[in-house]
Amino acid sequence: MAKEKMKGKATGEDNLKGTLASVFLLGFFLIFTWVSVYYLFLERL
Amino acid sequence: MNEMVKVDRRDAKLALAHIYVAFIALGLGGLAGLLQTLVRSGKFELPANISYYTILTTHGVLLGLVLTTFFIIGFQFAAVSRTAGTFSDRVRFWGWVGFWLMTVGTAITAFFILIGQASVLYTFYAPLQAHPGFYLGLTLVVVGSWVSGFAIFAHYARWKKEHPKQVSPLLTFMAVANMILWLVCSLGVAATVLIQLLPWSLGLVDRVNVLVSRTLFWYFGHPLVYFWLLPAYMVWYAIVPKIIGGKIFSDSLARLSFILFLFFSIPVGFHHQLMEPGIDPFWKYVQVVLTFMVAIPSLMTAFAMFATFELYGRSKGATGLFGWLRKLPWGDARFFAPFVGMVFFIPAGAGGLVNASHQLDQVVHNTIWITGHFHLTLATTVVLTFFGAAYWLVPHLSGRVMTKAMNRLAIIQTIVWVIGMTFMSGSMHFEGLLGAPRRSAFSTYGNSPQALEWIPYQIAQAVGGTILFIGIILVLIIITNLAFFAPKGETEFPVAEVAEGAERTPLAMENWKLWIGITVALILIAYTIPFIDMIQNAPPGSKGYKLW
Ligand code: HEM
Ligand SMILES: [Cu+2]
Repeated sequence: MAKEKMKGKATGEDNLKGTLASVFLLGFFLIFTWVSVYYLFLERL
Repeated sequence: MNEMVKVDRRDAKLALAHIYVAFIALGLGGLAGLLQTLVRSGKFELPANISYYTILTTHGVLLGLVLTTFFIIGFQFAAVSRTAGTFSDRVRFWGWVGFWLMTVGTAITAFFILIGQASVLYTFYAPLQAHPGFYLGLTLVVVGSWVSGFAIFAHYARWKKEHPKQVSPLLTFMAVANMILWLVCSLGVAATVLIQLLPWSLGLVDRVNVLVSRTLFWYFGHPLVYFWLLPAYMVWYAIVPKIIGGKIFSDSLARLSFILFLFFSIPVGFHHQLMEPGIDPFWKYVQVVLTFMVAIPSLMTAFAMFATFELYGRSKGATGLFGWLRKLPWGDARFFAPFVGMVFFIPAGAGGLVNASHQLDQVVHNTIWITGHFHLTLATTVVLTFFGAAYWLVPHLSGRVMTKAMNRLAIIQTIVWVIGMTFMSGSMHFEGLLGAPRRSAFSTYGNSPQALEWIPYQIAQAVGGTILFIGIILVLIIITNLAFFAPKGETEFPVAEVAEGAERTPLAMENWKLWIGITVALILIAYTIPFIDMIQNAPPGSKGYKLW
C-alpha cells in the first residue's frame, strides 16, 4: 500500500477492517478448541 | 506479463504425465478408503481373506505418497515452465527420467503391497518388515523426485544467469523453495531405508534400531506435510488472486512465509514422537517450541488471504465489515474449490495445535482423531486446492476449455466433498476423543461398553466415506473430460500480479545459501544431541515382524 494512504482513517479500498475481524475470529476459534481439549485432559487426569 | 503465455507443448506433456498418474492413484486409493470405512462400520467384511492392512497400506501409500508427489511435481514443472520460460531439452529429458523412476518405483511398491507382502502401512515403522521390493520401489520414487528437483534447480539457475539482478518469478521461487525442503527432508527417509530397512529386510543384518528408524522417518514425515501444503499455498498466494480479478497482497510476504516454512518445518519431527520413550523430554520440548513457530507463517498466510479478498471486494464497492465476501466469484470452480480448502484449514489448524501440545497429545495420540485431522489438512485443504488447480491446469496443458456444465459439476463435486468430509472427519474427531484407535478394523473388544460407544460414529464415517467416494468419481469424470473430451481451445494459466504500491521485493530474498545454512543449523540444534543419545544408549535392536 502506498505510504500516504496509510495515514489517517482507512476508507474505501484500503479498508482492512474485515481482515482484522477475521483474524481475531480465527484466533478465538483456535484458543477455544485448544482450551476445550485441555479441559478434557484435566478431567481425565 | 502477457495474459496468454502458454506452457510449451513439450513441457505440458511432461506435466500432464505426472497428473495422470496422480489421478489414477486417487481412484484406486479412494476405493480402498471406501472399503476401510465400510469394514470399520461393522456391517461389511472384506472378501477372499484380504487383510484390512493390505487395503490400508494401499490407501496410505497411493494417496499420501503417490497422488501428492506426482501432482506436486507435475504442477511445479508447469508453473516453472510458465513463469521462468520453456525448459531446455536437457532439463526436460531429466524431468522424464525423474518421472519414469517414480512411476516404475510406484509400480514395484504397489505390486508388493497388493500381493500382501508389504502390509506395513505408509509409515513402514520397524519392526514391521516388508518385502525388500517395497523399500526398493520407494527408493526409486524418492530418487526420481530428486532428479526432477535438480531439473527445476538447473532451470532456475539458468533463469538467474540470464536475468542478473532481477527477482525471480514468484511461482518459480516457491517451487524452488519447496524442492529444497523436499531434498533436505527426504535425506532422512533415504537414510533409514538404505542404511537400516533394506539391508535388514534382505537378511544382511538381523536387528534394527527402531527408535533411530522412527526418528529418521519423522525427520522426513513432518516436512512431508509441508511439501504437500506449499504447492497449495502457491495456488492461494499467486494464482487465486488472478482468478478473482484481484492482485497479490504482498510478494515479499509470500516469499518470507515460504522461507519460514523451510526453517521451521524440519527440526520438529519429535512432535510425532511425544509419546515415545527413549527421547529426553527436554528435546521434545525444544522441538515443540519450534513447531509452534510454524504458527507465524501460517497466520501470515491467513492474513494475506483475507486481505486479498477484502481489498478485491472493496474495490468492487463492497461495504460493511464482511460485505466483500459477497463480491467473490462463487460460481467459478477454480476459485470455489480452493476457497473451501482454505476454510477447512481453520479447524485443521486448530486440531494441529492440539496434536502438537504434549499433554493434549496424550488425549488424542493414535486415536482416529488423528486420521480425522489429516483428512482435513491433506484430504480436504490440499486436495481441494489441487482439484481447483487441475480445473484450469489440465485444460491449459491439453489445449482444451472447461465447459459451463463441467464447471457446474466441479462446484457440485466440491459440495459433495464438504458434506462427505464433514460427516467422516467430524465423526473421526469425536470418536477419537472417546478413545477409539486409528488403524484398526472393526472390533467390539469383547463387547466393552467403551467400544460399543464408538459404533454410531463408525457408521457415520461409512456414510461420509461413501459420499466422498462419489466425490472421487465426479472429479475423475471432470478430469477425464478436461484431458480428452472437452472442446479444443485456449485456457489461461492464471498468474497474479502484485498490487500497485506494494513494497518492491528485495533481492536478498533469494539468498539461498543463507536460508539453507539456517535450516541446517536449526536441524543440528534440534537433533544432534538426542540422536547421539539414541545410538549410544541403544537397546539390542529388534528382529523383523511380518504379521501376515
Ligand atoms: C473416499 C475418500 C476417502 C475415504 C473414505 C478415506 C477413509 C480413510 C479411513 C477410514 C482411514 C483410516 C483407517 C484406519 O485408521 O483404520 C484413512 C486413512 C488414511 N487416509 Fe483416507 N480416505 C479418503 C480419502 C483420502 C485422501 C484423498 C487422502 C490423501 C490425499 C487420504 C489419506 C489417508 C492417509 C495418509 C491415511 C493413513 C493411513 C494409515 O494410517 O496408515 N485419504 N482414510
Ligand atoms: Cu507434524
